Amino acid sequence: MSEFVQYLVNGLTIGAFLALIALGYSMIYGVVRLINFAHGDVFMIGAFAGFGTLTTLGVTGGTALPAIVAAVAVGALTTGVVGTGIARAAYVPLLASPRLALLIAAIGVSLALQEGVKVLTDARFKSYPNTLDGGQILSGSVRVTWGQLALVVLSVALMAGLWLFVTRTMTGTAMRALAMDRDAARLQGVNVERLILVTFFVGSLLAGAAGVMYGLYYTQISFGMGFLIGLRAFTAAVLGGIGNLPGTMVAGVAIGLVQSFSAGYVSSRWTDVIIFGLLIAVLAFRPTGLFGERVVERA
Amino acid sequence: MTRSTSRDRGRRFRLLTATGAGLVLVPLAAACGSGDSGGSGAIRIGVPAPLSGDSASAGQDILAAAKVAAAEINQAGGVDGRDVQIVEADDQCSAQQGAQAAQKLLNSGVVAVAGGYCSGAAVPAIPIYGRRNVPFVLDASTNPSLTDTGKGKVFRTCGRDDNQGLVAAKFMTGQLRARRIALLHDNTTYAKGLADAAANSVKQFGGQVVYQDALQPGQSDYSPVLTKVASTKPDVLYFTGYFAEAGLLMKQRKQLGLTFTLMGGDATTDSTVLKTAGPAADGYIATTAPLAKDLPAAAAFVSAYKAANKADPGPFSVYEYDAVKVVAKAVDDAGSTKGADITEALHKIKDFPGITGPITFDDKGDRTDPLYITVRVRNGAFTAHKKLDKSGGTWVDAKSS
Repeated sequence: MSEFVQYLVNGLTIGAFLALIALGYSMIYGVVRLINFAHGDVFMIGAFAGFGTLTTLGVTGGTALPAIVAAVAVGALTTGVVGTGIARAAYVPLLASPRLALLIAAIGVSLALQEGVKVLTDARFKSYPNTLDGGQILSGSVRVTWGQLALVVLSVALMAGLWLFVTRTMTGTAMRALAMDRDAARLQGVNVERLILVTFFVGSLLAGAAGVMYGLYYTQISFGMGFLIGLRAFTAAVLGGIGNLPGTMVAGVAIGLVQSFSAGYVSSRWTDVIIFGLLIAVLAFRPTGLFGERVVERA
Repeated sequence: MTRSTSRDRGRRFRLLTATGAGLVLVPLAAACGSGDSGGSGAIRIGVPAPLSGDSASAGQDILAAAKVAAAEINQAGGVDGRDVQIVEADDQCSAQQGAQAAQKLLNSGVVAVAGGYCSGAAVPAIPIYGRRNVPFVLDASTNPSLTDTGKGKVFRTCGRDDNQGLVAAKFMTGQLRARRIALLHDNTTYAKGLADAAANSVKQFGGQVVYQDALQPGQSDYSPVLTKVASTKPDVLYFTGYFAEAGLLMKQRKQLGLTFTLMGGDATTDSTVLKTAGPAADGYIATTAPLAKDLPAAAAFVSAYKAANKADPGPFSVYEYDAVKVVAKAVDDAGSTKGADITEALHKIKDFPGITGPITFDDKGDRTDPLYITVRVRNGAFTAHKKLDKSGGTWVDAKSS
């Protein structure tokens, strides 16, 4: 029984990251109809930006809260800017082209980011200073650390913030309008190009924050870290109904749980078979995702 | 060694084409024939290594060590009054380039080859050298198949992966008195081979393998796997994969408050592990071939290497140094530069005083003495821990003798 609870805790931690990254996929797909393959690499850039901040501040360990906050902020802002830059340079010029061109551009951007960081870091792993060794909340047969709790709380806060932004602000409303129908939104006076950039900024911001949190929690980062987690987050986005934000959050956590329980009760070798098997099954039987695509109005 | 075998993964298909190219090239080269079994000029020893590409730093370390060995031999009067000359070839750690490097070395008239890094590059080179009866002494490629299929013309100064498994099993069941042993690999050729070898030996020594499975590299969160391992109540977990996962395993094992001993193979002794795991690395034990700093006999080599290269020797430098030395010794013993004579002389060598220990080759070309030792993380550094004594039955402190 205690093992079951432990798998649950492990799965929720993994799921918190996946949900944050998956939201970026989902948001961007919603407004541009683009699966942004570079999103996982934007996450990776965030981790490196946070690492750079901590190193510059001279943090070597211990619980340095201001430095951590600074790292998350710098990481998120960096990726926000990088993500917007990518959109401006590579995607916006292609908006009128067939969708395949956008997709290929995204793959190109992904490879360029990965290889670029690979060259800059000599393909070496970097290690974050140990800042989250804050001890255990539960230390019996089930273990929960303060680090895990902080992580989950921060993820939930970011997701709640996003939810408020999308539902309560003018920009958020415009974004939803854009997701429903680009031309109609334009007719209503929405500046489509600008709004697309805002969407990329917000989506990349979340990925960057996730990247720094990832670095703080796992401590080891590398140029290739965004690949596998990006694929899984993408699966979560599809599973939740791409474009559907609450569905994506739930699906992100669900994929985290699948990863944990499959390692526990099947074998971790089968994890990807199960996750991507789910992806295929969803695409085959419920192409709009388990929770349905929100933008059903789209003809 | 370790890094090498992982490279086999994606390169199998290339390997086939490269071997094919080798087959075509060999008769051509034989026709050109350098015909240099005469007795004048320098004695050329070939050193294939990845001098460019991802593994270039390892390759450069190996080449530098070969040059130190050659300089030392020449200073002492050479072999039969002839100088030893190192001929380098870049194998780029790939099968295609490995075959080409072999060809290049044969064309430049080498009498023997001492080097190599990636097993994947060595595989297509072996038959090319073999057909010309040129002995190949490996310094870093630990894949068991290399000497198994080498027809007695392939030797190595480094260890074999299956031998490492045996040593690990002896350590866990003997020194640690572990009864229940969990084995975790990552599904690469090297890691799986090492885990299988360890499993076999553990069972032989009366231990019980309670868990044997793979994690998936690259996913960073191994707490589900560790929770699963813990549920099998092992005394020791032996992880045979690479360093990137090892550090995370140490850290997450501590976070989960698990008490079994964590051990790893020789691919986990990278310093990245220590940085990632921080204090959680303390007490971690790894099986590995001894490093230069743990070999008392290597002190002179280390200072010569530093003087020549202004850098510390790499992990395989000592094995390359011994490889060149043992080849020179064999040429001297044989009194000939014919490949077949040198091969025969290599097999006859007994207890050659290498800096990595006494060197005697068995029929396959592997070293007869146990090579692997254990190291332990102490105060944030890997330090020599225990090694098997000559009899192979008792563990003694690795620093002594």
